[in-house]
Order: sequence, then C-alpha cells, then structure tokens
Amino acid sequence: MWSDVEQKELEEILKKYPTKRSALLPALYLAQREKNWLDDDDILAVAEALEVPVTDVQAVIGFYTLFRREPTGKHMIHVCTDLPCALRGAEDFYARLTRRLGLPSEGGTTADGLFTLEAVPCLAACDKAPMCQIDLQYYENLTDEMIDTVLAQFRAEAQQESGA
Amino acid sequence: MSELVNVTIDGVEVQVPKGTLIVEAAKRAGTEIPVFCYHSKLDPVGMCRMCLVTVGTPVRNRETGEFEVDDNGKQVIRFFPKPMTACTTPVSPGMVVITQSEESIADRRGILEFLLTSHPLDCPVCDKGGECSLQDLTYAYGPGVSQFYLEDKHHSPKKEPLGDLIYLDSERCILCARCVRFEDEIAGDPVLAIDNRGRNSKIVSYSNPKFDSKYSGNTTDICPVGALTTRDFRFGARAWELESTPSVCNLCGVGCNTVLNTRFDEIKRVMPRQNEALNEIWLCDKGRFGHHFNGSQNRLTTPLIKKNGQFEAASWDEALALVARKLELSKEKTGGVAGAHLSNEDLYIFQKLFRTVLGSNNIDHRIGLNANWDDQLAFEVGAGVGTDIGRLKSESAILVLGADLDEEAPVLYLRVRGSARRGAHLINAGGRWTKLDNIAEKSLRYRYGAESALAWGLVAAVLDEGLENKDFVAARVDGFEGLIDAMKSFTPTRAAEQSGVSEDDIRAAARTFAKAENGVVLYGLESGGNESLQAAIKTLLLITGHAGSANNGAIAVLPHANSRGAADMGIVPNRLPGYRPVEGEAGLSAHEMLSPDAPLPALYIVAADPAAQSARYKAAIEATEFVVVQDLFMTETAQLADVVLPARGTAERDGSFTSVERWVQAFDNAVSAPALAWADWLAFTALAGKMGASWSYASADGVMAEITQTVPLYAEMNFDNLTRPISLERKMSHYIYSGTSFTADTREGLQWRSVAEASEAKMPVAFIAPADVPPAEGMTLVAPRVLYDGGTLIAQAEVVSAHIQPAHAVISRKDAAQLGITADDSVTLTVPGASVTVPVRLNGLVPQGIVLVPRNLSGFPAEKLLGSKRLTAVKITKVPVAELA
Repeated sequence: MWSDVEQKELEEILKKYPTKRSALLPALYLAQREKNWLDDDDILAVAEALEVPVTDVQAVIGFYTLFRREPTGKHMIHVCTDLPCALRGAEDFYARLTRRLGLPSEGGTTADGLFTLEAVPCLAACDKAPMCQIDLQYYENLTDEMIDTVLAQFRAEAQQESGA
Repeated sequence: MSELVNVTIDGVEVQVPKGTLIVEAAKRAGTEIPVFCYHSKLDPVGMCRMCLVTVGTPVRNRETGEFEVDDNGKQVIRFFPKPMTACTTPVSPGMVVITQSEESIADRRGILEFLLTSHPLDCPVCDKGGECSLQDLTYAYGPGVSQFYLEDKHHSPKKEPLGDLIYLDSERCILCARCVRFEDEIAGDPVLAIDNRGRNSKIVSYSNPKFDSKYSGNTTDICPVGALTTRDFRFGARAWELESTPSVCNLCGVGCNTVLNTRFDEIKRVMPRQNEALNEIWLCDKGRFGHHFNGSQNRLTTPLIKKNGQFEAASWDEALALVARKLELSKEKTGGVAGAHLSNEDLYIFQKLFRTVLGSNNIDHRIGLNANWDDQLAFEVGAGVGTDIGRLKSESAILVLGADLDEEAPVLYLRVRGSARRGAHLINAGGRWTKLDNIAEKSLRYRYGAESALAWGLVAAVLDEGLENKDFVAARVDGFEGLIDAMKSFTPTRAAEQSGVSEDDIRAAARTFAKAENGVVLYGLESGGNESLQAAIKTLLLITGHAGSANNGAIAVLPHANSRGAADMGIVPNRLPGYRPVEGEAGLSAHEMLSPDAPLPALYIVAADPAAQSARYKAAIEATEFVVVQDLFMTETAQLADVVLPARGTAERDGSFTSVERWVQAFDNAVSAPALAWADWLAFTALAGKMGASWSYASADGVMAEITQTVPLYAEMNFDNLTRPISLERKMSHYIYSGTSFTADTREGLQWRSVAEASEAKMPVAFIAPADVPPAEGMTLVAPRVLYDGGTLIAQAEVVSAHIQPAHAVISRKDAAQLGITADDSVTLTVPGASVTVPVRLNGLVPQGIVLVPRNLSGFPAEKLLGSKRLTAVKITKVPVAELA
C-alpha cells in the first residue's frame, strides 16, 4: 500500500511518538493523501504498521469527518452554514450552489468527478460569509457570480490537464 | 486489609475500604443506584450519566484544619454544586451521599428521556424484555412521555450481524460501551468499537472475521438493553417463560457454572451461573452455543444389535443380556475405554463394573494424543482449596507452561488475564506465541520437547541463587539435600542450552516466581506432562513454598469436562479411585487395548470415538470380536460395534463433574432424554445386575453416596453438600445479578484437598533428568488444541458450524517464503508410514521450523501423523493446485 516515499515519511512520523498507536492521525492523513479517501487496504495497512486493531482504526476514521471512506471529487468544497454564516445568507448560497452543481441538498460529488460539495460547521470566518473552503484555500464574501468564476477556473485547469 | 472510611448514604452510615466507588458503597448501605454503563466487572467510565447523585463532604476550617461543626455539634457538610457520577467518584471520609434528592430524580428522568429519544420501545417483541435494565429503570425513574418529536427518531437496521453469533439492533443501543469494554478489558480481543459520533454513533466490528472473539456471547448478557442478541435465542422465548436449571458446562475442563433455560422441555439458551471462584459471570461461546447437540436429530434413541452386518433396534433387556453373555466369556480380558465427558458417578460405576464384576484393570480414559498424560500433580500439590486464579494481584506469580488457555480453557484464560491486569506476575512459557503473551510480564519461548529442561532450569536457578523457602523446606520437604546433589550437574546454563531460553530469562523468571508470596503453575497439553516435567513442577512448588495453601500449587489444564474426575475415579489401568495403586498387576492402557496386533476379545467403549482418530485404532476395533459402544451419536466407532447403547446428555440427567481446579460440582436434569436413552451409570448398573451383581443404585445421588464412603477425597461430596443453596448473606455480599439470570445463584461446588494441604507430612522431591532434545533438523510437527475442533458433540451444534476449524496446517511466513508456499496452497505432510494433505495457513507468530496441525480436527490429520507421539519430524511439500483438482 505504502509507496517508498510514504514509507519513509511514515517512519519519520513514527519517530515522533513514544508508542506507535499515537501516530494514528498523521498516519491516516498520509494514507489518505494520494487519492483523498481511504479504502479497506489503506486501513489494514495503517493497522498493521501501527499494530493497532483494525476496528480501532475504523472507529477513529468514523469519528473524524476529514477522513473519507468513499471516493471524492478532485476538489473538496466546504461551505460553512453555521448560524452566523446562515444569518449572512450562507444557507441560501449553499442551496443555490447545490442546484448549480446538479447535486442533491445534502451535497455530494459532481457527475464529472471534479467537485465534492459539503456543508460544514464553523470554518472561523463568520464575518466574511458566505464563504467556502476549496481544498486548502478560503474564498470569502462570495456571490453566485464569484463562485461561478472560481469553479470555471478549476474546470478550465482540469480540461487543460486532460488535454495535455 | 486496606484503610476503611465512614460514609453516609441516604442516611445510612457504612464503612467501606478507601477508594470504593460510591455506587459500590451504596450497595453496602442497601441502596441500588441505577446504572447503565457501570458494571462491577469493568473499569468505570461515567458515560451514561444515569448514576448522578448529590454528594457532600465535611467542611474543614481553613485555619485550624478541624472539621467545622454546627450549633448542634454536627459536622457541617458542603454539597458539591453539581451532581456527581456515583460510578466514577470514590468515597472519602465523612462523605454524605443523597441518591434520592429532587435534583437527582430530575437528572435521571432527563437522562432516561434522552436515552429514549430514538429508542424503538419495542419491548413487546424484544428478547431482552423482562430482564432489561432500560425497561426496569424507565419504570422506576423515567418520564411517561417524551418532549421529543416522534418524526425525529433515528432509524437503523433491526438485524445487523455484528458477528456470526451476535446481532446488533442499534436503535435499541444506548452506547454504554459495555460490550466494547468487555472485549478490550476482560477478553483482550479489541474487536469492537464505537464508529462515528453523536446520533450516528454505532457499535462496529471490522476484525476478520467480524467480532472475532470466543467470548462474544457475554456481551449480550451484560448489554443493559436489547441491542445485542444471540443468533440462536432471537425471538426464541420470553425471559419469564423460561425455567432455570443449574448445570455445569460439559465442553471443557474449566467447569463453568451454567443455567439451562428451558421451555416446553427444550433448551432455549445457556446462561452463565455466577460463581466468583470459577467463571465469575462469563461463558465462552462454545459453552453458550454448543448445547444444541442435545436437540440434534441424529441422537441415538434405542439400543441397537448388529445382526448380519445390520443394526436392528432392540430393548435394553435384550441388548444387555447379549452384552452380559459376551462379557462373561471375556471377563478379565475385557477392555474398557470411557471418555472423560462422563460424570463421576458414571466413571465410578464403570470402573467398579470392570474391577469387581469382570475382574479387569483394563480401563482408561485417555486416547489419542492425550494418551501419555497421567496427571498426579494435582493430587499431590494441586492449587490449594480456595485458590482464586482470577483475583491474584502483585503479591502473586502465575507460571503458564505449555498451555494455550484461550483455546484450551477459555474462561480460565479470562481469569488468568484478569489477574495479570490486576498486577499478578504472569510468566507465559510456551513453544509458540499464545494470546496470554499479550499481557504476560515475561514470555519464555522454549524449544518444543525441552519443556522439562526449562522447568528443571527454574528449579536450578532457585537453588543456585538460594531463593528456596527455607522454613517451608525444613518443615515440609524430604530429600532436599539429595536434590541439591543430584542437580549439581544440571545448572541454569545447561537448562538454557537445552531449552533455548536464555539463562537470564530463566533466572529472572525463577526469581519472580520464588519471591512472590503466592505461586501457581498451570501446565497444559503442549507441555507434554511427562514424569520429569511433573517432578520438576512439584519440586519448584515445594522448594519455593508454593504448595499446600490457597493460591499456591499446580493446575493441570486437562482436556475434557471430567478429565480430573476420570483420574480421581481411577479410570486408568494402574490406579483405583482416590489415587490408590491397583492391587496386583496394572491393566492395559487404551493405547495397548486398541492394538490391532493383539486385540482383546471384547471392548466396552463409552463416550469416545477412537476409530475416527487413527487407522490403527480402527483396525484394532475391527479385529476385536465383541464391541459395545455407548454414546449419544452413531460415531465411527459405534458403526463398528456389535451392540450400541444410547446414552443421555448432561442436560438429560443429573450427576457431577470435577473441574481442572478440583471443584466437584453437581448438575441437574433439565430436559427429557430421547426415547430409550439411559444415563451411563444406569446402563452399567443394569449390566452388572445381569452378570450377577446386586447393586441397588437408584440415582446418581445414590452412587455419589457410595463414592463418599469409598473414596476419602470425596468424603464431603454428597449431593446434599453439592446442591446446598447459597446463604442469603453470601448472595447479598457476593452476587451482582447483572449479566446473569436471576435464578443463577443456587449453589457452589466443593474442592477436595491435595496431599500437600491434607497433611503436615514431608513430601519427597527428586531430580528426574529431562530428556535432552537436540534441535530438530527440518520441520517439527506440533499438535495444539483449538476450541472449535471436530469433537463429536460440538459437531452437532449447527449454530457454531462456521467456527469449526477444518483440517489445516499452520506454518510461519518465513518458512512459507523459503518453501515457496502461499496462503492459497495445500501441503502434504509426511512422516514414516503416514502422510496427509491439508490446506495451509500462514502466521507471522509461529516459530520457524514448526508445523502446527491442531488435534481432533475433521479427519484427524494430527493423530494420523503423530500416532501416540507428541512431536515428530515431518517433511512438508507444496501440492500444486492442478494436482488437487
């Protein structure tokens, strides 16, 4: 499961902790990095590397929302719809976004596999709502036009990549 | 005794040891604080919040440090501003607890309303209904209505297999995590966890296979709601319709106390019967689910006589008359094999039949790979009466030698593990990794065959370092000087060379064992149990003073439900009941009786299936002129018989078993037997009658009455004593009624005293040099025991059929790599004169050079290869897939 690079990184991670079990979160991030989600083999590999029961690994993944057990789109879009953001129209913004992406109200992955949309609680930018996080980048004070522009850029990038 | 503190709970003052939790202290004060997540067998976690109580402590004057008193001279109590969880708060001196404050009552009501937000309230169809904590506590403390919206209830699948034997209904689950904690803490199988969070939290298992634990059934007992149910009892009966009969598990030697819950003359479920000295409140899955053999359609229902190669139904009278006629002819040349599943009463009458009516000492209970093990240790230095192997602490050492307790005696594993968790020094000596290594303080990995060398090495290290218990040696040991002389040449260094365990490890283990206040040795099948080993264990126990008192001595982990009883009752060719030597010549062992070269004229085989085990035994039985088989099922041996007699199962009769810890325990009749099946002792008695004896036993009780007269060890073991109800006082102080059926507290057994306890006499020690086993060239075959083997009874219990292990061999991954073998392959194992082909399993924990083929599997591959040997060199070759097809 682990590539050579990952194997080396894993060894580095393990050095930082007194017991292998303690390295569970960073090891899971490492396992998820390549394809953005964790399959059964990944979980088994982490369990074996850290000498932790596979059920415990699964329970940790289940607890944390940023570990995924199903394939996602190329880019993750997190829209905060918590109360302060909702007061600035984030809920409506999110609802419109799902429709424009052709997704159900609970979000999901677009048909072209480019985006996965999720409503999330606080991203600590209440004063700049509506806002979202795409991958690691924040986009704030959003309007429909602004997000369309951003999404169009991602689409163009993707097309370029596949063309090239 | 630890320091005591005074606390007042609901106005009742009680004294409890410092550190006691409020919930436990309250029990002493006669108050039951409601709990869900708390269980006295598990570590407290405070998850469910049901046990909230109001707690106050005496106020001290900050300047003087004195307790403040009010105008009436009473201590001033300051109550904590918030309620406390009684399950996690230890008492402190002068603490005042109010469990019925208005605040606490409101808290409980709120917690219950919250726990019930998504509860389906399907008590009328729930298996737990009638014995459910949630139901009981809701009646006692809950609100009658909910403020939550019905539409917002969570729904999830009603029947989700959590494992092969256990179903999860997560709508009913209140997330107390008792099941998760049981598997982590008690069983050491961390295979359950809570997945996700908040309202989506759910119990999951991702082990392969799911819920991979031999103790899974216990989670359904301790589940305080109906979330976990067993596959076989699901919708089987309502708890209040069940009748409860106290019984003893007959599937291994631990002697777990059980309750057989029956309805309409059918066993609906088997529950643990609490016995803190034996199984606490636990059962393994084999014991819980294995009972289904009783109701099997394949039971023998009538005596059968073979005429012209065909069995024909006959009456008992006809069948016994024929047997009597034939045995009159063979008389003292008759051979008798009795399986150690039989009760003490059966075994006693069996040997009496042979020794007094037939005049034959040819009786044995040991066949196949158990044939060489004749345990005398328990008789001489058995762990003292009152030994509590599950509650030892740091003052004690436990040495496990050649026993895979998790597979051989599961509940004993739980108990030893429990002691190790509480600080007992556990030394696990074995030829390979076993589960106790997970928790052992020290693991000694010896070379197979060198068990006695290791044991004598421990003795040598004790002597070399002068660690012997000098007072005990002076008072109780004979031949100590001679021992020192004899062992001059056998040093710890020599033991290290022979056993493959480093000298440092041997010395360290010897120090731990010798310095501990208490010391227990458990030795099992893989240790070989030969004379030299038994002498070494006996010597080790005696010179360290670990004999003759509670929590000190040896426990032989014998294979069957009544292996101990069979040894006690003299079902061996060389000893009478009570470990007295036979007068005159010893008889033949089972192995000698089952010899095709010198067949006996007649064999009486009871509750054993030697023909299935090896071609040699089968040929011997075929060559025997007259064979009687008495069993529950038409076994391979029965098919070769001239007369087959139907016997009753444990549940269908009464009797007693003696556990590996020498607990003699009575079991009662719970259900009717099929048609003409008889209890074994009755068949032997009737046969003796036909042969001229006039025995007048009317019941198992009556047989035991005679045993108390003739076998001094059993003098106290009459059924009045064995079935005496537990006193109310003991019930109150001792029993927890949480995870067991309410009628579970009926009786406890009795232990007989070993020689070391029974007298003050000196006991001899002598060095018997261990055989020097050089490291084997090539691979060595070892036959361990597995829980779910191909035993006659368990094979008839369909519910566990998925767990029954097919014939297979296990080798290390390293050996597999060298031999080019993968996990999908089969291998042919060859020894001179025999060869078997079985699928192979790879395991990183098996030592290199070892092939494990569990004994007693379907087709008996291990028995075929080993004959009567314990270990053998074996050639292993990969079988190409094409050849198999």
